[in-house]
Amino acid sequence: MSDYRFIGAPVERLEGREKVSGAAQFVDDVEFGPNVHYAWVVESPHAHALIRGIDTSHAQGMPGVVAVFTGKDFAGLHFGLYMKDRFVLAADRVRFVGEQVAVVVARSPAAAQAAAAAVWVDYEPLPAVFDQMEALKDDGVRVHPELGNYEHVPWFFPKAGTNIAHWRKIRRGDAAQGFADADVVVDGVFTVPRYAHCAIEPHGAVALFDQSGRLTVWTASQSPHTQRNLFAETLAPLGLTHHDVRVITPYVGGGFGGKAGVTMEILAATLATKLRGKPVKLCWSREQEFYNTYQRLGLRSELRMGVKRDGAITALSHTLYWDAGAYVEYGANVVNAVGLSATGPYRIPHVVIDSLCIYTNLPPGGPYRGFGYSEFLFGLESMVDKASHAIGMDPVAFRRHNAIREGDVLAYGASMNPNGLLEAIDRVAEEIKWGEKEPPSSSTALVGKGFSLLWKAPAMPPNASSTAFLKFNEDGSINILISAMEIGQGVLTAMAQIAAEVLTVPPHKIRVETPDTDRNPYEWQTVASHITWSTGNAVRRAALDAREQIFAVAERALHIPQESLYLEDETLKCRTRPDFCLALRSFVISGIQTEDGTYRGGPIVGRGMFMPEYASAVSDPETGQGGHPNVHYTVGAAALTLEVDRQTGKMRVRKVVEALDAGKAINPRMVKAQIEGGLVQGLATVLYEDMRFDEHGRLANPNFTDYKIPTAMDIPDEIVPIIVEVPQPDGPFGARGIGEHPMLPAAPMVANALEDALGVRLTSMPLTAEKVALAVMEKEARHGQTA
Amino acid sequence: MTTITFMLNGERRSIAVEPWEILLDVVRDRLGIKSPKAGCNRGDCGTCTVLLDGRSVRSCLILAVEVDGHEITTLEGIAADGLTALQEAFLANDSFQCGFCAPGMIVTATELLRDTPHPTEGQIKEALAGNLCRCTGYRPIIEAVQSLGRRCHE
Amino acid sequence: MAIVHQFSYARPSTVVEVLSLLALHGERATIMAGGTDVVVHLKEGRLVPECVIDVKDLAGFRRIAVSDDRLEIAAGVTFSDILCSPEVRDGFPLIAESAATVASTGIRNRATLAGNLCSAVPSLDCGPAVLVHDAHVHLASARGERNVSIHQWFTGPKQTARRPDELVVSVTVPRPQRRHAGCYVKLGRYRGEDLAQAGVAVMALEDKTYRVAFCALGPIPARAHTIEELLAGRELDEETLTRAKAAVDGEIAPISDIRASQAYRRHMAALMLERGLLEAARRLRGEPPAMALLGG
Repeated sequence: MSDYRFIGAPVERLEGREKVSGAAQFVDDVEFGPNVHYAWVVESPHAHALIRGIDTSHAQGMPGVVAVFTGKDFAGLHFGLYMKDRFVLAADRVRFVGEQVAVVVARSPAAAQAAAAAVWVDYEPLPAVFDQMEALKDDGVRVHPELGNYEHVPWFFPKAGTNIAHWRKIRRGDAAQGFADADVVVDGVFTVPRYAHCAIEPHGAVALFDQSGRLTVWTASQSPHTQRNLFAETLAPLGLTHHDVRVITPYVGGGFGGKAGVTMEILAATLATKLRGKPVKLCWSREQEFYNTYQRLGLRSELRMGVKRDGAITALSHTLYWDAGAYVEYGANVVNAVGLSATGPYRIPHVVIDSLCIYTNLPPGGPYRGFGYSEFLFGLESMVDKASHAIGMDPVAFRRHNAIREGDVLAYGASMNPNGLLEAIDRVAEEIKWGEKEPPSSSTALVGKGFSLLWKAPAMPPNASSTAFLKFNEDGSINILISAMEIGQGVLTAMAQIAAEVLTVPPHKIRVETPDTDRNPYEWQTVASHITWSTGNAVRRAALDAREQIFAVAERALHIPQESLYLEDETLKCRTRPDFCLALRSFVISGIQTEDGTYRGGPIVGRGMFMPEYASAVSDPETGQGGHPNVHYTVGAAALTLEVDRQTGKMRVRKVVEALDAGKAINPRMVKAQIEGGLVQGLATVLYEDMRFDEHGRLANPNFTDYKIPTAMDIPDEIVPIIVEVPQPDGPFGARGIGEHPMLPAAPMVANALEDALGVRLTSMPLTAEKVALAVMEKEARHGQTA
Repeated sequence: MTTITFMLNGERRSIAVEPWEILLDVVRDRLGIKSPKAGCNRGDCGTCTVLLDGRSVRSCLILAVEVDGHEITTLEGIAADGLTALQEAFLANDSFQCGFCAPGMIVTATELLRDTPHPTEGQIKEALAGNLCRCTGYRPIIEAVQSLGRRCHE
Repeated sequence: MAIVHQFSYARPSTVVEVLSLLALHGERATIMAGGTDVVVHLKEGRLVPECVIDVKDLAGFRRIAVSDDRLEIAAGVTFSDILCSPEVRDGFPLIAESAATVASTGIRNRATLAGNLCSAVPSLDCGPAVLVHDAHVHLASARGERNVSIHQWFTGPKQTARRPDELVVSVTVPRPQRRHAGCYVKLGRYRGEDLAQAGVAVMALEDKTYRVAFCALGPIPARAHTIEELLAGRELDEETLTRAKAAVDGEIAPISDIRASQAYRRHMAALMLERGLLEAARRLRGEPPAMALLGG
């Protein structure tokens, strides 16, 4: 189809050998020698309390203890990505169970842990609020009385004196008219609990503030430059500048959004500044990983949808109440992103969206693969089925009828990018054999099918950018320097393929490594599925820059017109001189020798940058109209065949199909791997994962014993990934991101399949076997009564 | 302190340990063998898997003193002479993404293939069920192990 | 994650040495075999012993002995040892079937049946199987030896009849005198490793008597005698099954916890009994075991 050599090729992962041999270094594997110091935090047992006093005297005197710090030591140090509402150590108030109130630094982990238990904190417990609807009440608990004073990005609209940290409003058309035009109006209320990322590597950070005043922090992070920026900003009162701060990120053992931004790393960085010359290591336990990084936000969504009998959606009202937790510095942008996109990939003329970011006394909510889209799609795509049933139309035909097209006006007024949504719908429907009934494997089982569309845009500041340096070596091999993080998605390989395509140097001769902010150029963060597109563009431009330098030096040295030059198989060739052939390795470092013995050129170093210059977050706060907050959407469709035992509620996914429009799959093998892995992660949030809090706001299952993530025995019988390729005009070779998208449709397609099989509509996630069995019992009891 | 002596990846090692020191911590922090990882520290995730006298175990649930006189093999020991066929199969099948679970997963699968050279899909899933992977969805891991079983057949 | 508490460690090679350490430290000693529970408890500070006594290397402690009338499993025998033993798999398949549901390979390679019985958690997977086999636990102390019937063994959640100075030496599993077949039906949140939300072991004997035991449906794993009496001598027809299911509520005392609600546990206990009885009867007729008895 294309004449690309490396783009679209199933190239093996560049870093594969390191990872399968055990050579790959993660942050906890980096050695710091015998002077390493270990930190352990003292955690709040209260969800909401004032700190009256802290007595560290006993802990200070314990064996091996080097120092104990409290909020007083770090007074005024607060931070946040989009809103500065978070503290390095709690100052006078704790807002969730597990929040760090003090920290012990000792010579061994055991000594630090023992001393932390001996720190005595005097709390004055306050009433706490764990439910976002409760938190909306006028007379209730205020989680952040100082909300009105917090710095935040200009596109947030906090309501001082309430628990509403941000309220994104979208108004398009005339909703009243839209509902009046409808033949049928359906409504529903849906709830989604909190979830944990469960990267297998817990967070860790080691910080060294050396004798010269330079701060280096090794972190397990998706966001090295954002971390450097926030460390420097937060520690500015101590006299630090960006120039003094360096972040190094070795391989990261899974991110899923949980290692985006800054959480516990700020503590390691700050501690180091108090312990000059001593490497301070802070590793989160699995328990802390669950309750003191970010959690996926909880959601209650209320929907109304108006439809005409001919199948057209006329109006949508979508209100989203987010349980965003005690600190929303990152989570509020999840709320914002969903507010912009809560129509789903549908053309709807009249839209009202309210997306409310609400503080509660639960752990901080934040980014999680999908950035809120999984949550709202559960309600929306359940409603789409409900609406199609209400007018007697096939749910897939209904989706196809209303599917958004290129050029359609989005809810906030911008226009939809080119996309392959219709192709995705058709290919999924065909592969899942939509409309065909399948027999169950036992007398108590039933089989249902469920369908869902999906879309998602990168959620990022309008000026988020990526850069790349590309340098040749003597043998014609290449090193690419970027600050996109390899978190498992295969970015190193994809970037090598992009450069390879431009420079004709095969990917296995290109090395791309994880970042060091002092050496690698700027990248906003590895989040939002924007790396392939954004960093890919930067790498492509760096490669083009290098190629231009190559052509230019050849012209200068050999007097061959640049326009006639091209690269092939690692050599420089000329269209007008078939005999001309110059190996890259012969000149990319040493230059080209001219007739008089002098040289032209020298080491070839390319540079590339990408920032979308058309994006803007400026819009009317009351309607959301006027800006261009999203660069583009990646769309897709998915369906599954579900067998369910109507007595036990036990479910088995017999087949699941998902088609994503990758624009151009740089490496189809890795795109398919994302789809397979993402679907399994998504299905787990539907079928059994669930964060449970007790009545005091304490997480009851901060471990894999009771927070169940899938094992090898819990995977669908068959997964069929489908790649659709409608190019993204400003993407590298047409590519756009697909990293988060695989898990988005999991919940609604299971809910829709359950209704298809059992006639029962579940509206509260997760859809466990227990809920299914009890719902069937309840339904049968109702029927028994009416019969 | 007790001095324990044990074989670590084929080399006799002696080290003084306290009774409460954990094998995983001793192997990683004091003996510098880094492939076993600390993922949960309570036996749930399998990233710390090593072979103890040839059987896969959770090194986070073993006191270092317990292995005195025994034999410990980590991924470094399994691959001492270069990547094994199983590791090559992991590469060919994309059986890892972030790579954090890979060492434990490969150690567990190595034990399976030694004891059961031609495992069924059910046996593979059962054997790997104690090693958590959040990235791949497991299918590529199962396929890598299966490909070895098939290779033995040929 | 480090262990903060400090203790001494002993790995005796004779039972006599263990008993003298137990006599010395009493309740301040912790006996450890596989350590899969003990080390977690040490890390979490739930166990703070003076001395940890490692009994893995005791002579004869890895022995599985099978005779005409019984199976004897020494206290150091791991679940993997049990699963690898052809004598257990062939002669006591219910013991093997329940052992296979305990955790995962890496745990089963260390964890022991005896240690599991000592943990005595309500969700004990091997509990129902040893209960329907009328097993005995053998204990030794400086005062002598004694046998405790498994029916007297579980005295409360995480509590057993073991006295602080006693060492579990072995577990004896009698071979039923009649031709029989059993099955263990486990309800977990998914197919992978999980603690039982509910468990039922059923043994069907050729004289149409049945033995039934539950776990995770009350404070301790326990036999369901009322159900057994009701079933005795009967064919498993619809009426009998209906009566047996109706009797389940009186035999169990489930709670709501993070793993399941009381309502679901009650609902499933009856279904699991029904499906377990039918499956045991099928196996008694020589039919191969069915997969995924509960679906999913």
